[in-house]
Amino acid sequence: MILKMSRIRMLGPRERLQSCLACIQDLGLVQLVEPAETESLSPLGLTPEQEHHVRSVRDVVQDVDMALELLGETPSPPRAAEDLPLTEAALIAGRARRELEALAEQRQSLEEERALILKFRPFFSAFRKIGDSGLDLDGIRVFYLVLREDGEEELRRMRAALRQALGEGFELLSQPSESGESAMLLAVPMADAAKAEQLLSEAGVQSLSLPAQFEEQGVSATIQRMQARLEELPKELAALEQERARIARERGRKLAWIQASVRDHLATVVAMEKAVVTPRAFVLEGWVPKAVQPDLERRLSSRCGPGFEIETVSSEEWSGDTAPVVLHNPRLFRPFEAITRMMPLPKYGTVDPTPFVAVFFPMFFGVVLGDVGYGTLLAAVSLILRLRSKADTTLRSVSEIGLACALFSVIFGFLYGELFGDLGHRLGLHPIIFNREEAFFPFLGFAIALGLVHIVVGLLVGAVKMFRGDKRRALGKGMAALMVVLIALALLAAFDMLPERFFTPLVITTLVALPILIVGEGVLAPIEFVSTLGNVLSYARIMAVGTASVMMAVVANRMVGAFGSVIVGILFALVFHLINFVLGVFSPTIHVLRLHYVEFFGKFYSPGGAQYRPFRHWSPRESASDERSE
Amino acid sequence: MEIETVFLYVSAALAVGIPALATAWAQSRIGPAAAAALAEKPELTVTVVLLIAIPETLAILGFVVAVLILMQGGG
Repeated sequence: MILKMSRIRMLGPRERLQSCLACIQDLGLVQLVEPAETESLSPLGLTPEQEHHVRSVRDVVQDVDMALELLGETPSPPRAAEDLPLTEAALIAGRARRELEALAEQRQSLEEERALILKFRPFFSAFRKIGDSGLDLDGIRVFYLVLREDGEEELRRMRAALRQALGEGFELLSQPSESGESAMLLAVPMADAAKAEQLLSEAGVQSLSLPAQFEEQGVSATIQRMQARLEELPKELAALEQERARIARERGRKLAWIQASVRDHLATVVAMEKAVVTPRAFVLEGWVPKAVQPDLERRLSSRCGPGFEIETVSSEEWSGDTAPVVLHNPRLFRPFEAITRMMPLPKYGTVDPTPFVAVFFPMFFGVVLGDVGYGTLLAAVSLILRLRSKADTTLRSVSEIGLACALFSVIFGFLYGELFGDLGHRLGLHPIIFNREEAFFPFLGFAIALGLVHIVVGLLVGAVKMFRGDKRRALGKGMAALMVVLIALALLAAFDMLPERFFTPLVITTLVALPILIVGEGVLAPIEFVSTLGNVLSYARIMAVGTASVMMAVVANRMVGAFGSVIVGILFALVFHLINFVLGVFSPTIHVLRLHYVEFFGKFYSPGGAQYRPFRHWSPRESASDERSE
Repeated sequence: MEIETVFLYVSAALAVGIPALATAWAQSRIGPAAAAALAEKPELTVTVVLLIAIPETLAILGFVVAVLILMQGGG
């Protein structure tokens, strides 16, 4: 559900603005917003000194963020440390950033050098042989070229083209390399270098560019030096890594502390800009969850002292569109908020679909996978993930969703009598509702019936949501839900699953409901209604994906007897079951998500809510969680 | 094998095969566009997954029809 929010106004003596903001930040419950300006209230302008201070703070934040990014790890800041003056924090952060940037530049340059030399490596001996042939390189530009295996013909063509362009003023030497390609050296006078370069580029011949420091040396010396560098480079890279680790060890925690305290300070400065003032008082406005408002008021009043007042802004003064959204669900449903959050948040005052997702998502998943063996396997994987994940992380939510899905898979596995496909039948597990290998029609009917329930629930939720505002449209939504049910019942009567005498009254009631639907939702309502019926049919995928899953499992079991050796057959069957398990988890997830987002949410969901971001102390974890929810 | 049985299997194969090809074609167009969109905006992952999953409806409904053909024909 979406928590009810209150908009509060806080007033106090102007000289106590900063200390009151510090109290608000300590409590971390108020999302500050800019209050509406009136004639007597004006925004708190910053003096030139304050603006300079803000710029300095932002510079330190930039330096410390960059330094920690280059450090490649975010150590946890010490629990308690002395507050550093801004100038000292700026010095430490700036120096760390410069040192780490220099290290990163050196590392990049060494890695580029190594990458260039590695390109030459397969051709070392070939180029050395050519170099040893005594080529005089004075005033000469040398190109290091590589030709692919069948390059004999290409070589001849290139020689002819070079002769045509440069006359006899070039030397082209070739040597097969260890990789099977041909290494070639093209030596041309400096004056003809540009012409030769263009010719090579037009012919698409791969030319290896030489690292800058080798350009002035002869071919043999160059190759020799490259070989030596290839041995030296890993040591130099390791030394750089050691230096980075030393900085991380000695200054990492201090940098993390500076990051937290300077970002905190910046947040206070930004919050100050949201205050409006009179010559003697300040006014702040913000959002707070209604449930915690009394406690917040009590704590703030006692901490901010006399003269500080809090009042509730009446709901006539704000619209629901501007209120931030906080999703709050019972513990059992909370992991499923991750599925809701994958969509833009619902608008304030609308419906949070999480409780419905928490019921239908694992159930549909279980209907599709429906196997005791695969369900148990999924439970084991989810349990391991849960044990290895931290609280309040996406991984924890995924693991708990996995456990719920596994539970439903096991339940439906018993109902279908499936354990790794038809292995269950052989071990005495018998289908209770139907056998999915044979009962295509019952399974299809079951899937469509689930779809019918899901869509009708969606339409009813939409009707209830609209009832608070547009009652006519709410009536239309309700009528659509009723018509879906009536049509389903009429079809059952037509196929003799209900007494035939119900058919005509059901059809007549549907026809009577149609004009009410049009009155409620407009002339396009019948078209939308047909698409709603299409949505119900879309649930046939539950049967299709489920049948594919069980058939794959059956095929895997048959492999045991299909090969000459039983051991080989069992190995193949295990591999096939593993593949089927991966597909059996992935495929239902995607399809059930789709059924929720497209078919179900489409009936009532109103995206566009703003995330609740209270003014609080900065921490890397909360910052990451804010970024995730954006 | 009787000619009716041959037609039954061929029509079931066509019922699932043609929509599967259509799905493959649609996904081949959506895939590169989705990859490009994701490179620019990773937050579109959910939309992209949904867009890729939408054409699968064709193949799935084709499969259901094929099963119906086979069951009705006594295959």
